[in-house]
Amino acid sequence: MVPVGACLGLSAVLFAIGLFGFLARRNIILMLVSVEIMLTSVNVSLAAFSHHLSDVRGQVIALFVIAVAAGEAAIGLGLVLALSRNKQGVNVEDVTHLRW
Amino acid sequence: MSTAGLVVFYYLAAASIASAILAITRHKPIHSLLWVLALFLHVAGIFLLVGAEFLAAVQVIVYAGAILVFYLFFLMLLDLPSEASAPRFSAHWPVSVVAGLAFATLIWYARDIPAALVPPAAAGAPRAGNLATIGKALFTEFAVPFEIVSLVLLSAIVGAVVMATRKTEP
Repeated sequence: MVPVGACLGLSAVLFAIGLFGFLARRNIILMLVSVEIMLTSVNVSLAAFSHHLSDVRGQVIALFVIAVAAGEAAIGLGLVLALSRNKQGVNVEDVTHLRW
Repeated sequence: MSTAGLVVFYYLAAASIASAILAITRHKPIHSLLWVLALFLHVAGIFLLVGAEFLAAVQVIVYAGAILVFYLFFLMLLDLPSEASAPRFSAHWPVSVVAGLAFATLIWYARDIPAALVPPAAAGAPRAGNLATIGKALFTEFAVPFEIVSLVLLSAIVGAVVMATRKTEP
């Protein structure tokens, strides 16, 4: 049986990596990818608790997280597409105005 | 689950962390996305190890299959100017390192407290995770959130189309 503590530790490390990537990367697409890494790490801890407690609800909530991640990818990339029409490149430091 | 299972788990965990680190440090966005693909596949393996077979399948099909391919398509569609010469990280990246390390200290609490805090299920309890129990939970206990998620996806589709449509007039 996989120890739940090890799964939670892995989840914390993955979340920290995603957090660093979100805060530090300059490319907006890579920032969105970092958000996906964070959501995946949350899924790992949900699945670990579901296994630990023999309760299916953790996995159901993980499914919801995956669905929301799909929506987030669609909305985020739509925003990036609209942004890249107005500015060359997808560097987050170039985006200093809310509208053009 | 024996020693072999633990060895497989620690391999999957180490490979996940390595691919995540590689994913956020590569210069080219395509390389980053391919490393994220490796991360998602390893996480699917972890889901298999903890008995979440359906979640592993969804992880491979939806995350690695749909969302990541969506990102890759988008990256090719956008035709980015050369990123290789520009710096990868913004000027304040040490602050981000501190934030990440501060979060990673949660691993200290993850060591053995949850097992004491949350007692594991009884040995005779039915195993969660097969498709029938998940479907039953989705359509009975989680029926309302399930419908709300469908609305979230619908609004995401409409929102993406609205934002990505080119405006013809100023």
